[in-house]
Amino acid sequence: MNHNLIIFHSMTSVLKGREVLRRRGIASRVIRTPSQLRRGSCGYSLLISRRFDEALRLIEQENIPTAGVAAVDIS
Amino acid sequence: MIYFDNGATTFPKPKTVVNAVNRAMLTGANPGRSGHQMSVRAGELLYQCRVDAARLFDFDKPENVVFTLNCTTALNTVIQGLLRGGGHAVISSLEHNAVLRPLEALKSRGVTYSVAGVEEGDSEQTVNNFRRALQRDTKLVVCTHASNVFGIRLPVERIAALCRIYHIPFCLDAAQSAGVFPISMRDSCIDYLCTAGHKGLYGPMGTGLLLVNSERLPHSLIQGGTGSMSAQRKMPDMLPDRYESGTPNLPGIAGLDAGIQFVSRQGIQGILRHELRLAQRLYDMLSVCDGVQLYTARPEADTHAPVVSFNVGNYDSEEVASVLNDRYGIAVRAGLHCAPLAHEYFETQYRGTVRAVMSVFNNNAQVERLCEAINKISKKA
Repeated sequence: MNHNLIIFHSMTSVLKGREVLRRRGIASRVIRTPSQLRRGSCGYSLLISRRFDEALRLIEQENIPTAGVAAVDIS
Repeated sequence: MIYFDNGATTFPKPKTVVNAVNRAMLTGANPGRSGHQMSVRAGELLYQCRVDAARLFDFDKPENVVFTLNCTTALNTVIQGLLRGGGHAVISSLEHNAVLRPLEALKSRGVTYSVAGVEEGDSEQTVNNFRRALQRDTKLVVCTHASNVFGIRLPVERIAALCRIYHIPFCLDAAQSAGVFPISMRDSCIDYLCTAGHKGLYGPMGTGLLLVNSERLPHSLIQGGTGSMSAQRKMPDMLPDRYESGTPNLPGIAGLDAGIQFVSRQGIQGILRHELRLAQRLYDMLSVCDGVQLYTARPEADTHAPVVSFNVGNYDSEEVASVLNDRYGIAVRAGLHCAPLAHEYFETQYRGTVRAVMSVFNNNAQVERLCEAINKISKKA
């Protein structure tokens, strides 16, 4: 199944992001950023299956620092 | 034991705090480091504490709530982090060594500081004293919200507003006031708030908070792993990671969160009312006790924290505390309370004072027992 990821640098950022989305009724799950997307760093991502564009906009509006976005196939 | 040493650390702690620490010990993994469920859960626990602390201090940036070892570490982060290139600082005449000693140590790097006199009961004069102490090269104003020895409350909102006018960062030492006085980061001009987690917030010892409400970020005192941006050799600039190297005190922070929730449930106004009523009762009873010397005006909410400092006859303060402990099972703190400046203010630097600080767990009967004991001691003086 295709999901989208918003990649964050830290646990604090990812949890703040999840809370922002939860308040707007957007479901997300915290996962460790997949190794191929880490670019030699570590971090956490929000796995989002619906309303991704809206989610990304909300994260940007809140000025939560991110490390990028990606599409992943998780079965 | 009747415990009035709440200015050093509150005791007892709420049961919810003890349970939260135990739970974290039984279930907690290292937060923010790994991807497994236990680590993520531990990270959530830390984040919840940031959210609850931010709410308590009316602050909209939970990510700018930094966990520290204690208030002293938080203050050192701000003082050393902002002044490491030199400059001038202004402090009050009631400061704790947590403020005084870092500034003394920075003298070797060219830092200078001025002491603004606090006028008990005269906010106007106190603010004027701060204004007069400012210099062209003043880079920081740091002061206590309330004296840890005498409870005297400073007009910190006005001092912070003064600093904002002159674009000088303002740091508040809220070690004695967090959980006792309402503090709003949103409505005030406080740039950095430092506090202990184990006093009026009822958390475990070894916890403290630094709230950063400024773009001006002090240099970090220690550097190391943060679980974030690990490929980068420099410390991350983002908060709270910039100031949180190494494994955090998860059980302590779990307890701190439970303590903050306890304070929120009780309500700060209710806590202040209760503690102040006890402090006033103690003050009134001691004021009619022969041979007892009080130093401040009667504690009132807008001018004092619920702290009463006194001496008995010609006894050394440590002697009185020792008799209270040995003969009456009462715990107080005596001596200089790590605040020599405050003692110089009242000329008590040689004998110190006996200090009783209230918590939500104290009651009238305990205050009466303390007064009875002081009465007996003073008759032998």
